[in-house]
Amino acid sequence: MKVIESSKIKEKAYIEELENGLKVIIIPKKNTKKKYVIWGTHFGSIDNHFIMPKTGEEVYIPDGVAHFLEHKMFEQPNGTNSLDTLMALGIDANAYTTNDHTAYLFECTNHFEEGLNELMDYVQHPYFTEENVEKEKGIIGQEINMYDDDPAWRLYMNAMDCMYEQNPIKIDIAGTIESISKITPDVLYKCYNTFYHPSNMTMVICGDFQPETMIEEVKKRLLPKENQGVIKRIYPSKENKIHKAFKNEKMEVSTPIFMMGYKDHENIKEDRVKKHIAIEILLNMVIGKSSKTYQELYTDGLLLAQPDMDYEFSDQYAHILISGTSKNPQKVMEQMTQTVNKMLQNGIEEEHFERMRRKVYGDYVVEYNNVGNIARMFLADTMKKVQSFDYIEKFETVTKEYTEQILEEVFQEENKILSIIEPNEK
Amino acid sequence: MNYQKEELKQGITLHQIQTQNYKTNLYAIFLATPLKRENVTLDALLAAVLRRGTQNLPSQEEISKKLEMMYGASFDCGIEKTGDNHIMKFYLETLNEEFLPSPENLTKQSIAILLDIVLNPFLENNAFKKEYVKGEKQNLRQIIEGKIDNKSKYAYDRCTEEMFKNKPYGLYKFGYIEDLEAITPQSLYVYYQELLKKCKIDIFVSGKTENNAIKEMITQNEMIQRLQARKPEYVVNNETTEEKQEDSPKETTESMQITQGKLVIGLDVKQTNQNSRFIASVYNAILGGGANSKLFQNVREKQSLAYTANSGYVRTKNSIFIRCGIEIDNYQKALDTIKQQLEDMKKGNFTEEDLQNSKELILSSIEGITEEQDTEITYYYGQELANTFVTIEEYIQKIKEVTKEQVIKLANNIFINTIYFLKD
Repeated sequence: MKVIESSKIKEKAYIEELENGLKVIIIPKKNTKKKYVIWGTHFGSIDNHFIMPKTGEEVYIPDGVAHFLEHKMFEQPNGTNSLDTLMALGIDANAYTTNDHTAYLFECTNHFEEGLNELMDYVQHPYFTEENVEKEKGIIGQEINMYDDDPAWRLYMNAMDCMYEQNPIKIDIAGTIESISKITPDVLYKCYNTFYHPSNMTMVICGDFQPETMIEEVKKRLLPKENQGVIKRIYPSKENKIHKAFKNEKMEVSTPIFMMGYKDHENIKEDRVKKHIAIEILLNMVIGKSSKTYQELYTDGLLLAQPDMDYEFSDQYAHILISGTSKNPQKVMEQMTQTVNKMLQNGIEEEHFERMRRKVYGDYVVEYNNVGNIARMFLADTMKKVQSFDYIEKFETVTKEYTEQILEEVFQEENKILSIIEPNEK
Repeated sequence: MNYQKEELKQGITLHQIQTQNYKTNLYAIFLATPLKRENVTLDALLAAVLRRGTQNLPSQEEISKKLEMMYGASFDCGIEKTGDNHIMKFYLETLNEEFLPSPENLTKQSIAILLDIVLNPFLENNAFKKEYVKGEKQNLRQIIEGKIDNKSKYAYDRCTEEMFKNKPYGLYKFGYIEDLEAITPQSLYVYYQELLKKCKIDIFVSGKTENNAIKEMITQNEMIQRLQARKPEYVVNNETTEEKQEDSPKETTESMQITQGKLVIGLDVKQTNQNSRFIASVYNAILGGGANSKLFQNVREKQSLAYTANSGYVRTKNSIFIRCGIEIDNYQKALDTIKQQLEDMKKGNFTEEDLQNSKELILSSIEGITEEQDTEITYYYGQELANTFVTIEEYIQKIKEVTKEQVIKLANNIFINTIYFLKD
């Protein structure tokens, strides 16, 4: 078992790769009553074209399969639903699907053993029939309608449409009513057999546990499976340019909402964590609470709250997103752009850099307050092929000079986009 | 026990929670005052203006810079209805000093800043700063107008409004546009000074700290020393402040551009027993608490009528709200199915297993109280406002003791008050 450690925040993680390829990460937390387990497969909404390792068959799947599969995993042949079974024990269970992974999780204070039994049982036993697949289409159809009404989701999808022409990140995670109508048990089984192989999965466990015992608990619940080769995923070729600089849509909102972004030319070789830290520092410098730009926009009533800032990245995409509410999004973008340009011209200020560095450090440490956060973070980071503790441990290596270099590399005018949702005309 | 409370002066209480579980310390101050139509807008505006600047840190920029240097300490404030009280909440969270890359006294700085924001605001000409009040009025206007943005929340707020028409709890926590215009920097400051003389003040500290040292820091604070003892004005939360109706339910339908309908049903719970609030929690969990609940199973799973179907119990008002996102054409079918669930509850059409499952659900959330700093603070503050003290262990015991008979008896004392539907 490999042990990694963060001395600054006094936490350790134990990592074991089992013979069948399953990666298990255990982060012991003394004194906490809550226990959290999350089991994820590296299969998300963008994985819609691949070659099955066993048969060599090339498969195209309809949009929304990963999410559909997630819904259907809970159903058991005896008519029970694993979500109900877990809830009945007072265990809070859930699942979710993102662009790049699907995760099944539960959190509990009591009945941990039963919870682990159930989780590991249902994730290893798919049960799809014509009938239960048809029924699910109604439920997911409602969910899709709900997303269609959600201005924040439309805003994000339109931003992705600005960034990319072909990239599968543009696919709605739940698919469309039309695309899910094509889903059959056969499609679901193909995806299950390919992506739910242990070698494509990671389990993260956080709570007051003894790591060695815990590994054994996991091992004895795993079903034997033949080894499987690497899954070849096929994606459209990378696009260097943005698709379009601007998109707007009208919906029922009181004030416009906006999402501004910079597309990044993803470079897998460089240190992603270091780059991510530098970008977070930069975003805080540009539009964080104490930044001049934010203060001015706030005083002018153009921003009500600090915009949300995010850097999303995987092997297939990388971009910065800044989103918020404003009666004049164009003006907000202009001001932010000016700030970026000034920083590009004059370099960044030492005192300001130090302040944001400290703030970003604090943000990372706070993540370790909660077992759920820790487990989800380790899983999501593993899927992105980064190591969570690095955000704390590599912190010191992010210098002002390095940050300036990232600024030049990423905040480029020709890679900028803006998506807006405007109120309907009265 | 890791919780201690102590009255510093009449009406001003310090609560301390010792815990090793976090990387952070959390400090909070709550000001409680009765919900009144003429004051709600003032309360909401006040919380927003206070965070703008203090005598020592006169602008938000200065405050933010200071907090950022403290390793991204985070300040937050908000306004909430708790029973018939309006609560202005102010929080400051900082890293515990143990996890800093280099040593620094963050505790002392944190307490000073939080007290400064609430009790020592930036003033000009014996009033709040004009610019701040003007800006926050605009912001608050947008927040009030933005009520329509989140459809599901909007439907819930509207149902509450209809159910508690002309009663304190029916008021919108952010206030009203028509009251906003008349507020001036002077009138707001006069209101603030009055409020500080009468409101109930509670200070919470949670984390790995030293109780005596904290108490010392707070009692030595100049602003705290200046506050007078008071017989605090607030509404004790255990008391029922309105008659529960038994006659025919009110029905309201509204239209908006929307593809999924939002159905919210407000239920009155009549007290049947001194432990009725515990019984009502169990009733609610069976009805709509989780994936095993009657609503989830019958409205969503069996009939595919809804994507969301659940219910929530508002303990301080002894009311239950059922919330569903449904296809608009399914309105009548969904409503009938929901009514059928209420009837089934009255007849005792639920199993011993349903009862046990629901208790497990509640127990696990009770056990989770000590796993989050703000949840633990909120729990003890709820006790404080209810003027009772139930430890977490007692709370668990009370839930375990609820019987099927008690739930059935309570079910027969639950009435639909309001049916609200938001459609296209």
